[in-house]
Amino acid sequence: MIQSLGWLVFTVGIYWASKQLYRFFPKVYLTPLLVAPVVVILSMSISGATFDQYDEGAGWLTKLVEPATIALAITLYRHMDILKKNAWAIAVSVTAGAVLAIVTSAALAIGFGLDPSVMESLAPRSATTPIAISISGSMGGVPTITAVATLITGLIGLMAGPLIVKWCSIKSPVARGILFGTSAHSAGISKALEYDMVTGSVASIAMMVTAFVTLLAAPWLVGVLSSLA
Amino acid sequence: MKNLFKTAAQVVFFIILAEVSDVIVAKLYLPVSGSVVGIMLLFGLLQIKAIRMEWIELGSKWLLAEMLLFFIPAAVGITKYKSLILHSGMVIFITIFCSTILVMVLAGILGERMVRGRREEAQ
Repeated sequence: MIQSLGWLVFTVGIYWASKQLYRFFPKVYLTPLLVAPVVVILSMSISGATFDQYDEGAGWLTKLVEPATIALAITLYRHMDILKKNAWAIAVSVTAGAVLAIVTSAALAIGFGLDPSVMESLAPRSATTPIAISISGSMGGVPTITAVATLITGLIGLMAGPLIVKWCSIKSPVARGILFGTSAHSAGISKALEYDMVTGSVASIAMMVTAFVTLLAAPWLVGVLSSLA
Repeated sequence: MKNLFKTAAQVVFFIILAEVSDVIVAKLYLPVSGSVVGIMLLFGLLQIKAIRMEWIELGSKWLLAEMLLFFIPAAVGITKYKSLILHSGMVIFITIFCSTILVMVLAGILGERMVRGRREEAQ
């Protein structure tokens, strides 16, 4: 009990410290989502704690992911006019991005000779975690692999996204929001919110549209691709 | 101090809303996640003015600002899949990396073009 509570406090403390670090050195590889887990994992292996012991206390933080996602409704509500004005651009770009995510994940997995169940687990990784997991399970994928793949997707989006924005000179907040929400679900949204609220609200819409498109298209696209392979 | 209590109370509101959304998803066998239902529910409540923005603004700001904190245990959870990572971790990583980059480039450029096109049309 005290030990698991200790891990909770420790995680919050490390998060706070890594946030300060990021404030002074805003480098992509110093994002708290990379630094804090690395420090926690190192501390766990030093102290010999298992993940279940850790998660007993720190897992309470996971329960706040859903309330935080729901809080995005406020940014959506506030920026409804911008969303309506750009509805067409958002719908087309997000759908194209979500379909590309499924196709490239499945095609690369097939090309690398990965097991079909791993391929099915990777295909829905662009959708938000709970949806990606349920799609994966319904297709014959392994939900735990999907959970890890979705997480890695979020980290890559978070770290590489700002570079893509710069290199491809994506200047409009709407397009930036599309980029982050389509590719990297909630982790992408947290990065999008660092730009401004419009980027964040477009990213949240993009995340939702991606989830719906993946839900509808993933089983079908994966079926077509595996019959071609 | 007063703001601290307000923020905490509002965060509790969001937690309750999340629980309610999960129950709705489970009872109606909806194919979407509780968070999507929750977003729609709260959006609707704001739209019909059953809830005012001022009542929940502080809590939402805190939740959104600290979002990364809530993902840390999940990220630490990667340690559970040691054998998978050792076995085909690199190939899986390359697959995810290439795919994610391609998606960002396509969605970003397409979005930028379409937004710009609409703006020029309006002028």
